[in-house]
Amino acid sequence: MLKMHNIRKVYRTDTIETHALRDFSLEVEEGEFVSVTGPSGSGKTTFLNIAGLLETATDGQYLLDGVDISKLGDSDRSRQRNEKIGFIFQGFNLIPDLNLFDNIDVPLRYRGFNSKERRRRIEHVLQLVGLSARAKYLPAQLSGGQQQRIAIARALAGEPRFLLADEPTGNLDSEMAAQVMELLESINSAGTTIIMVTHDPELAARARRNIQIVDGRVSDSKAAPVAPVAEPA
Amino acid sequence: MLELKPMLSALWRNKTSAFLIALQLALTLAIVSNAGVIVSERVEKIARPTGMQVEDLISVTFMPIAQEYDMAGAVAADMDLLRGLPGVVDAFPTNQIPVSGSGSASRYFSEPNQEIGGEVANYYQVDPNFINTLGLELVAGRNFTAAEMDVMGPNENYDARVAIITRDFGEALFPGEEPLGKFFFPLGENNPIEIVGVIDRHLGAWVGWQKAGQVVFYPLLIKTNHKRYMIRAEPGQRDAVMKLVEEKLAQRDANRVLQLETLSRDLEQSYMSDNVMVKVLSAVIALLTFIVSLGIVGLTIFWINQRRKQIGIRRALGATRANISRYFLLENGLIAALGIAMGFAIAMLINRMMVTSFSQPAMPAGLLLSCAALLLLASLGAALVPALRAANISPATATRSV
Repeated sequence: MLKMHNIRKVYRTDTIETHALRDFSLEVEEGEFVSVTGPSGSGKTTFLNIAGLLETATDGQYLLDGVDISKLGDSDRSRQRNEKIGFIFQGFNLIPDLNLFDNIDVPLRYRGFNSKERRRRIEHVLQLVGLSARAKYLPAQLSGGQQQRIAIARALAGEPRFLLADEPTGNLDSEMAAQVMELLESINSAGTTIIMVTHDPELAARARRNIQIVDGRVSDSKAAPVAPVAEPA
Repeated sequence: MLELKPMLSALWRNKTSAFLIALQLALTLAIVSNAGVIVSERVEKIARPTGMQVEDLISVTFMPIAQEYDMAGAVAADMDLLRGLPGVVDAFPTNQIPVSGSGSASRYFSEPNQEIGGEVANYYQVDPNFINTLGLELVAGRNFTAAEMDVMGPNENYDARVAIITRDFGEALFPGEEPLGKFFFPLGENNPIEIVGVIDRHLGAWVGWQKAGQVVFYPLLIKTNHKRYMIRAEPGQRDAVMKLVEEKLAQRDANRVLQLETLSRDLEQSYMSDNVMVKVLSAVIALLTFIVSLGIVGLTIFWINQRRKQIGIRRALGATRANISRYFLLENGLIAALGIAMGFAIAMLINRMMVTSFSQPAMPAGLLLSCAALLLLASLGAALVPALRAANISPATATRSV
């Protein structure tokens, strides 16, 4: 479902060229739960941005659901993002001026659903994350864990083929982090592919496959460890 | 896909800035539209027909140097000379130059021996050539005859018998009636003056006068020691004729001071303050519109910078560039709509004050709407560039921790 081949990403300024990814190749199958780890500056976020169509690769081929992304224009990439990908960010990234209902509504409006369909989906995902009673609250009125659950609800409302999570528990205490992980695991077991970038080896170990990025390349890819294994952060 | 409801609630959370920019628009609309009323009134005033062939007319003022001077003889000789010059359509002697700001007026009555009330009018002493020279339109009755011409000294008493008046003066003196053949009387006198002709229009001496257009003409030449001539040139030959006239008049009698001017120039001088007002107020309108546009540009840029992250998030969630630009333009449009609605109310309030306190004309709906349209366009134009730039914010902004 996700297939990257020899992806290269170079950031250029007037004086410096930075190779964020080089010869980066990866395949992720439908229904997988993949964790991505690696030291700071290794290219995790760049990988996530390219996988999530937030940035384009300098070189190489990226097939998402069989669609060659490098051949798409900006509007088509926006549509692919909207329809196929759900994002979960470390900083939650809810829009502070909008209440929870309207926050979840944002991607659904871009999708072009009618108001009845949007309401049905929003109510469904609010229920799923257990925050139905708070639909009219503003993000600032919620705890971090609750905000992340709303962000997950927003990511799920469009019923995406896969979720991209960027340090989803990075700003949460361990109890809330555990709740969020459980939620992600149940979403994955319902069939949604998840790619999660994390620093936390314990969380990484809960995924069925772990990929380690070092220096812009996949350095290690191993399937489902039986028990949590400490990895170098 | 309208985002009106969430947009309104987001705006509501930033209501102070939004309200301030709307208020700025409202005040601008109020000032611009009321300035527009004054401008359009002045423009209409300047564009009023004078009733005369202004662009072909030349005036001559002369003063003889000698104390004893045969004025009647000089006028007769000058008229013979002028009417025979190539390029001259016609000419006549008179006491004052029309629309020059210099003139005489008197009070007249429809009944004899009256001193209170009545109607005022500019009066001119002319000869039968005045209609053709000025290019006036005689709409009723007849011109003066040569036999009706009186010539008299400056201190003699003149009892006019016939007069030609403008339609405006006839309507003022005899409202709703046909003035031709009726008689009118000078202040406190009982000698009747018969109206033998009615002229469609003649703006008189003072363009800013409320009674401008109320004019009486008498067939009279008074032998004062300075005299004026009006001369009409063939179309397009005015300047050449003016040179020729000056040369020939000086040749015929060198012992006098001559001053020549085009009537266009006199009219321009008379409207100078109006023209200045139009220019100054138009500049104020342009400047205000520009300043309010700058305000909108500033606010939109500020809001966009404040919401870079939010724009990145929206892009990550599937917004296209067009979605983002449209969002900011629509948001700006909502603020502008609020400002314009408030501006309508303030503009009408100011206009009401102007009508009652300064007898300015009422605000025409079309003018208010055009000013609103101008401001709406200016505000959308001002928001356009920042809105387009906002669309260039990368969706990857969403994953950067700021």
